[in-house]
Amino acid sequence: MVDFGIPIGAGIAFGLGALGTGIAQSRIGAAGAGTIAEKPEMFGLMIILVAIPETLVILGFVVASMIMIMLV
Amino acid sequence: MEYAYVNARIKAMKSRLLDRSFLEQLINKPDIDSLIAELEKTTYREELDKAGVLYTGIHRIEVAIRKDLVKTFRTVLNLIRGGETESYLTIILNRWDVQNIKTILRGKKIQENPSEILECLIPAGELDEAALTELVKQPDVKAVIDLLATWGIIYSRPLTLNFKEFSETGDLLVLEYALDTFYYQDAISRLKSGESDDARILKNILVTEIDINNIKTVLRSIRDRIDIEEAKRYFVKGSPDFDIERLTSMMKAGTIDGALKQLEHTPYQFITTIPQEYIVAEKISAFEKELERYLVKKAVSLFIGDPLSIAIPIAYIWAKYTEVTNIRVIARCKIIEVPEKELREALISV
Repeated sequence: MVDFGIPIGAGIAFGLGALGTGIAQSRIGAAGAGTIAEKPEMFGLMIILVAIPETLVILGFVVASMIMIMLV
Repeated sequence: MEYAYVNARIKAMKSRLLDRSFLEQLINKPDIDSLIAELEKTTYREELDKAGVLYTGIHRIEVAIRKDLVKTFRTVLNLIRGGETESYLTIILNRWDVQNIKTILRGKKIQENPSEILECLIPAGELDEAALTELVKQPDVKAVIDLLATWGIIYSRPLTLNFKEFSETGDLLVLEYALDTFYYQDAISRLKSGESDDARILKNILVTEIDINNIKTVLRSIRDRIDIEEAKRYFVKGSPDFDIERLTSMMKAGTIDGALKQLEHTPYQFITTIPQEYIVAEKISAFEKELERYLVKKAVSLFIGDPLSIAIPIAYIWAKYTEVTNIRVIARCKIIEVPEKELREALISV
């Protein structure tokens, strides 16, 4: 019988990471747009700040991958 | 309300406000022309250039900083158009409506030239430049009130109600206090309907302002030996700590010193540390200045409050207003050659 628990666990690990990243990036993106509107020279810094929450989804992806690899 | 965008933008605007070291440079300038040259290095450059076509010297600075202030406030208001937040911010900007109406009434009472009155106005509230221009064209105080009533401006209500007393006594203070009282009561009642954090922050600042005005009224009334019952008319309901009973008790002390003693163990106890000579000479202006500084500091300190609330726009409006006030003080002191020590004392540092 196929064990669905492992892929579901991997999905949750990746999905929640992506959700967290989305929420964080929406806030940071809005604030970044506001800052760039007034100070265009901050563009480079804002790109970095918007990218930082990507680590959440990357970690989620790594955890999901590890779960899947363990399954195999 | 999406505060992330708006407040980040306002914080970026805040970074362009003049810092203490720049104000020091302005103080050290020998004359108005070098002051203008220094200001041209800042965000005031655009308005200074425009004003330079029609005005010179201090008038150029006055016009430029006033226009810049109005433009900045309009920018902030446009950023938060719509919803509850806009109405909250309008409450703050309505202060300038009240101030403008009072200035026009004063000007009309002494029959000042309309263009002179117009120069003293700051069209940052709901009454724009066109409306104010029309108001200053009116021949007298009654005509100004009538025009406000025709336009359906709410501030015509307290003025109409108290006009009879004004026409009998000729005391403009009656209308000014009625206007102030109406503004604060209207603002607090508009905030009562909202129980959000934004409403709480704004109410806190408004109540502090009311308390400070009440304390000033108490001190002035004691100095001018005004009857307690007469003074009571001018109190506005503020915080529970400074209710009418407490203010009356301060009045009953009969002396400035006695009234100040009752401020101990309150947030305003700092004014009890003002040198004794001011108390003896009953120099109320020293107390008023300290109280105003406290209010400005409290409002500007909202910058370190909740970054996703109305605290940031409120703090910015106060910080910008303080900056403009400081530039005006420096410019005027340069014109009449006030000693540097007195100039520094007149500035509001935040």
